[in-house]
Amino acid sequence: MRWLQKLLPAMLLALWLLSAPAPARAVEQAAAEPAVTSVAADPQMAEELRRIHREIAALRADLAQPGIKEVFSGLGYILGLFGVAAFVAARRKGP
Amino acid sequence: MHISDGVLPTSVAVGSFAASALLLAWSARRTRSEELPKVAVVSAAFFVASLIQVPFGPTSVHLLIPGLAGALLGSSAFLAIALGLLLQSFLFQFGGLTALGANALMMGLPALLCGLLFQTFKGKTRQRKMWVGGLAGGLGTALAALMLAALLASGGEDFLGVAKIALLAHIPVTLVEALVSAMTIGFLARVKPELLEPAYLKHPPVHHD
Repeated sequence: MRWLQKLLPAMLLALWLLSAPAPARAVEQAAAEPAVTSVAADPQMAEELRRIHREIAALRADLAQPGIKEVFSGLGYILGLFGVAAFVAARRKGP
Repeated sequence: MHISDGVLPTSVAVGSFAASALLLAWSARRTRSEELPKVAVVSAAFFVASLIQVPFGPTSVHLLIPGLAGALLGSSAFLAIALGLLLQSFLFQFGGLTALGANALMMGLPALLCGLLFQTFKGKTRQRKMWVGGLAGGLGTALAALMLAALLASGGEDFLGVAKIALLAHIPVTLVEALVSAMTIGFLARVKPELLEPAYLKHPPVHHD
């Protein structure tokens, strides 16, 4: 805790230093704004986006594939249904 | 090879539901209680077989085993296949619920036919059972592909075109199925030959209610 207390003035100083040139940075950001939108039109970025879209589609297709859970629940259903059928048939026949 | 929702015209979907319900009732009636475990095992195998993908060009097709199911179960095959398809439709989203009747007919009729074929021509020796079993297995898939083409043709598609594509896409499956069926039946003929003799052929059916 002690070192944190020592660090506090330094942090405050850093905060003041960072916040001081705020107007200048805002101007910079405003200048960078058009550059950000043009990145979307950038062919490299568009290629990247398309690749990500493809990956999402592949993932979705993978998720639609039946997993081990579905397989075992189906097997359970089959054995259970035939078990009930065998039970009913045995009851009907009598001992 | 499953038909999805909304592919078939309503009349065909309803008609195939009615036909498969009738066949299902007949098949269940013919199933004797001593055979239930065997039917259950073949149903489970049929249910899981569709997960075995056979890569084919850009796409992949999966194992169907209607021929093997028919050869092992005879008239009970329809029951096994209908149940397997129902669960596949619920759990795997293979084939639509409204097309379930059509799907059952598409797999079930070849199964019944191949079962009859196998029981008629299986002969006595293991060698011959294997050959006939392999033939029945391959024929089951080919017939199912033809049924698919016929059902799709009822939806306004060109029968010959669809049949050609369906048969072409299922050539590898047909070969694999013939092999799998021959191996399975050869194995069963060696270790448990009585599995290849359906109960309804041994004793006349007795009605007990």
